[in-house]
Amino acid sequence: MLDFQVESWMAVAPGLESHGDWCNWLQNPQVVQGDLGSASLKQISPMLRRRFGVLGKCAVGAALPLVNEGENIPSIFASRHGDTPLTLSLLEGIGRNEPMSPTGFSLAVHNAVSGLFSIARKDVSGVTAVAAVEGLILQTLLEASGQLLTSGRVLCVVYDVPLPALYHGYCEGVARFPYAIAFILSHKKGKRYRLMQDKISRKKLAISESGFSHLDPEAMGFLEILTGLSTEMRFELNGRSWRLRRVCS
Amino acid sequence: MSSLHLELKQMIIDTLDLEDIAAEEIINDEPLFVEGLCLDSIDALEIGLALQKRYGIKLKADSEETRQHFASINSLALLIESQGSR
Repeated sequence: MLDFQVESWMAVAPGLESHGDWCNWLQNPQVVQGDLGSASLKQISPMLRRRFGVLGKCAVGAALPLVNEGENIPSIFASRHGDTPLTLSLLEGIGRNEPMSPTGFSLAVHNAVSGLFSIARKDVSGVTAVAAVEGLILQTLLEASGQLLTSGRVLCVVYDVPLPALYHGYCEGVARFPYAIAFILSHKKGKRYRLMQDKISRKKLAISESGFSHLDPEAMGFLEILTGLSTEMRFELNGRSWRLRRVCS
Repeated sequence: MSSLHLELKQMIIDTLDLEDIAAEEIINDEPLFVEGLCLDSIDALEIGLALQKRYGIKLKADSEETRQHFASINSLALLIESQGSR
């Protein structure tokens, strides 16, 4: 059993930024299209900003409003696929025998976004990069709970962009639009949550009947809990079932 | 400004995604790295690759000579005039 608090959170997707936006969308999910809105990275210098692609803009656009300038905070950056569109473009370049762009290569690694974030904020606190096929958010919460033993607060950022069409046949539950959920886990303040492992493992949660979901079901469930639309959610991981519950204080 | 100077500036802007900068704003004899245009080490590698692609110039990544060639637009233009095939 793990107890923690969520001090603050921010989620970003095209046209969705405020808590209210998400609350409305979760109750009536619409197709999300278009560019990322005003989640521009104004605090970041233009020379550094040019290095951010859609994935980075999304992740850092969600994370930046949660932290104060000059504040040091360890962070966990979790993405299932990382910048797969960029990686694919590099692979295609190799296929055409073209020399690889050093910038492209440096930004295709899984911890590229967290690296840019730490450079932009001049924060040398520890950064953990998580990649998980299953239970990305749960894995992030477990990692963060561990880090809370030595740090009072941990910034978590969960983010993904749609996979290039080439990969669609190989992957379930892909993101249909770029999104990022950033939150600060703390032992000091914020709404209280409890994470428990269920004694009996249950059948895997069914993904919606039609097979269509707007967003990864885990991300949807987590956003519902953050917005207060629900008070409990289940995660499945390695055949185990977990529950995250809002604790009323 | 010679057409080579302008060409180099445009190449740097395009290769390095310097959307906010116009070619005229890059000064021929000002430093490109750290000061002046404030480029970094990854930009240096990227410019090296662009020079190779466009002018067939190959440079050693970490030699003092390369440092001198990369000092400014003027020094890059000299390098291309002496070695480049266009």
